[in-house]
Amino acid sequence: MKAHRPLPPGIHFIQGNQALAEGALAAGCDFMAGYPITPASEIANRLSQLLPPAGGVFLQSEDEIAAICAAIGASWAGRKAMTATSGPGLSLMQEGIGFAVATETPLVIVDVMRFGPSTGVPSVGLAGDVVQAARGSHGDYQIVALCPESAQEMFDFMIQAFNLAESLRCPVFVLPDGFLGHMREQVRIPPREELKLVERRLAQGGDPMSRVDFLDPQVAPMPVFGRGLKAHVTGSCHDRHGMRNLTDPQVMHAYATVPQEKVLRRRDLMPPPAADYQEGEVVLVAYGTVARSARAAVALARQRGLAAGSLCLKTLWPLPAAELARAARAARALLVLENNTGQLFPYVKAEAAAHCPVEFMGPRLLGQIHEPEAVAARIQEMSP
Amino acid sequence: MPQVTILSQSCKGVEDCGLCLHVCPQGLFSPSEQTNQAGLVPPRLEDAQSCTGCENCMLYCPDLAIVVEKGRREAKP
Amino acid sequence: MKPLSPAEHPLRKYFRPHLKRTTTCPGCGNGIVGQAVLWAIDELSREDGLSLDDFAFVSGIGCSAWVPSPSFAADTLHTTHGRPIAFATGIKLALPRQKVMVISGDGDLSAIGGNHLIHAARRNLDLTVVMINNGIYGMTGGQTAPTTPPGLRTVTSPYGTLEPNFQVAELVRAAGAAYVARWTTYHPRQLRRAVKKGIRKEGFAFIEAVSQCPVQYGRVSGLGKAVEILEHFRRNSVRLEAARGMDPLELEGKILVGELADRQEEELGRRWRRLHQALSGEAA
Repeated sequence: MKAHRPLPPGIHFIQGNQALAEGALAAGCDFMAGYPITPASEIANRLSQLLPPAGGVFLQSEDEIAAICAAIGASWAGRKAMTATSGPGLSLMQEGIGFAVATETPLVIVDVMRFGPSTGVPSVGLAGDVVQAARGSHGDYQIVALCPESAQEMFDFMIQAFNLAESLRCPVFVLPDGFLGHMREQVRIPPREELKLVERRLAQGGDPMSRVDFLDPQVAPMPVFGRGLKAHVTGSCHDRHGMRNLTDPQVMHAYATVPQEKVLRRRDLMPPPAADYQEGEVVLVAYGTVARSARAAVALARQRGLAAGSLCLKTLWPLPAAELARAARAARALLVLENNTGQLFPYVKAEAAAHCPVEFMGPRLLGQIHEPEAVAARIQEMSP
Repeated sequence: MPQVTILSQSCKGVEDCGLCLHVCPQGLFSPSEQTNQAGLVPPRLEDAQSCTGCENCMLYCPDLAIVVEKGRREAKP
Repeated sequence: MKPLSPAEHPLRKYFRPHLKRTTTCPGCGNGIVGQAVLWAIDELSREDGLSLDDFAFVSGIGCSAWVPSPSFAADTLHTTHGRPIAFATGIKLALPRQKVMVISGDGDLSAIGGNHLIHAARRNLDLTVVMINNGIYGMTGGQTAPTTPPGLRTVTSPYGTLEPNFQVAELVRAAGAAYVARWTTYHPRQLRRAVKKGIRKEGFAFIEAVSQCPVQYGRVSGLGKAVEILEHFRRNSVRLEAARGMDPLELEGKILVGELADRQEEELGRRWRRLHQALSGEAA
C-alpha cells in the first residue's frame, strides 16, 4: 500500500484547498471529521490521504452534525481536530459550534463559502457566511475567524488557526470563498523548522473540585481525557470546575462572559489587517478575494491622481475595531467592499461612522468579485 | 447472616417509590414510622433474621439507599 | 441496626465525592440502570483490572443522560441532544485505549440521534451504548417518543399516538452491531451481565434497558407508580428463546428480552491500527 506524503518544502503551484490541507497537516492536525460538500470536498479528499500515514485519523461522518461532534470529541481526547465544510454544512454545525464555545474546546472549522441562500450555487464563491460564523449559534459568544485571500494564506492561516485554537481553547474559523478553494497559485511550503506550533496547556492532576478547568480569562489548562483527571465537560451552564450550575446568577454571568473576554483580550495573537492608506483618502475595507479587487482599484485610482487607500482584513472576528477606528479617523470616507449584500458592513459602520462616512459597495453581480474599474469610479464619486 | 442497612436520608420515600417493599421475596420491609430529613418515609426492616441476603432491595433501589452485606459473622449468643 | 454513612455504600467510591444526593424522581428506573453499570464495572475492576479512569462516559440530553453526569467520578462529556454517539465516535477513534460508554435515553438516541446510532452500529466501532428506554420524553413533560406504544395519550398526542413505534434493539442489530441485548429494570442482574459483556466485547455493543418513568410514562399509560410499571415489565417480558416458538399475535405488547446478537466482526479501531501499521511500515 502506497502512503500519500505531504508536499515537500519549496514552491508549488497548487489549488487553494490543497494548500489548506497541507497547512493543516503542517500545523499538527491529527484528526479530521468531514462530510463531502462543494466547494470544500478537496480538503477532505487530501486529508484522507495525508492523515493516516502520519498516524492521524480521517473520519467521513454520516452528516455534518456528526462531523463537528466527532471533532470536538477528538479534541477532548487530546487531538488537534478540525472539520471543513461550506455554508449549508456550517448551518448544520451551529449547535455543535455553540457546544465547542461553551466547553472551551480547541477546534478549527473551515468554511469554503459558497453562493446561497440554501443550495444556491455550490461552485461559486460568495462571502455568505461571515455573520453566520460569528452569530450562527444561539446565545452570546465570541469566536475567531480568519479570512485568507491567496493560496499561500490558505496554508499559512491553517497554522495560525490551529495555534489560536490551542492558545485560546475555542473554535477558530478559516473562511475562504469558493474561488479561493479552487484557484491554483504559487505556494511556498516552508521547512518544518520554520514553523512555530503552539500546543494547548494540559491540566496536570488533582481532582476537578480543586482545579480550574474552565472560565479562566487567561485560559485554563485543559483536562484532556484519558489521564485520570475525571473531567466533567458539559454544554450546560457550569462553574470553573465544569460542574453544572443553573441557579447561581454569578455563575451564569461568568459562563456567558468569561469565554468572550478570553478571546477578546488576545487580539495580539491574531493576524492584523494589511493597511495601505494615508490621511484624507477614501479607504477601501475588504477581505478575502475581494481584497484583490480592492488593491487593484486603489492602484487604478492612484494612477488617476485620486487619494485612495486600503485596509484589507485578515481577521474578521473579533472585528479589528481599533484598526478600523484608526483608519476612519484618518480617512475621508470608508468604502466597504464585500462579495455579498453587506454582512460585515454594519459592524464596520458601527466602529467607524462616528469618525467618517461609511459606505458599502457590492459587486455588480453577486457571485463575482468587484471589477476594479467600477470601484475606481466609485472612489472618484466619493472624492472631492 | 446478611446485614441490611437502610440509608434513610438517601431514600425518596416508600409512598412514591417503595420498590424495596415490592421486590423483597420475604416481604421484610414496611414503611417506617419516622420520616427522614426530606419529610419522606423510608422503609424499615421488620424481621432481619429472615433476610436471605438475596440483595434485591439493594439492586432495585434507584437511590443507593440500601446496603446488603452478605456473610457477616455475628457472635453466637 | 448499625448506622452506615451514605459513603459506605459499596458503589459510593465511583461517585464524585462532593455530590450528596441522586437527582431522579422517586422510583425512577435510571438509578437501577446506573447501579447495574457500576456493578458491572466493579466486577471488571476485580476481574480485568479496569478502573473508572479507563473509561470516558458520554451522554446526551434527557433524564437518562444524568446517569453518568455529574455523578460518575470519571471523564465525562455531557453533549448536545441526540449526539453522544457522534462525540463518542471522535473520542474513541482519537484515544483507542479508552473504554467509551454512552448512557442516554430512547428519545436522545433513537429519535434525534437515530442517524448516529445506526452508523456507529454499522461501523462496529468499539463503543458500549446503554439506552435507557422509558418510552417517553420525560424531562420535557411527557411527549411522545419513537418508542411510545401506539394509542397512548401523551402531551403531544392528546388523541392517542397514531404512529407505530421502533423496536430499537432490533434496528441496531440489523445495522450491524456486534452485541445487542435488551432487558428491563425488572432484570438488574441480567442488565449488569449484559453491560459487562458489552464492555468486554470488542465491537459495537448496545444494551437497551427498558425502564420506568413513573411521573410521565406512569401517568400517560395509566400504569401509575414505579412498582406497577415494574410489575408490567415482569408480566410482559418474554425471553427471546421462548418468543421464537410463539404466535406473533401473542407477542403484541410484549417486551422481548435477552441477547439479540453476539457476533465476531473485526472492530473499526482494529482496522485503523492495521492501516496505521501498514502505512508506517511503508514510510520507513
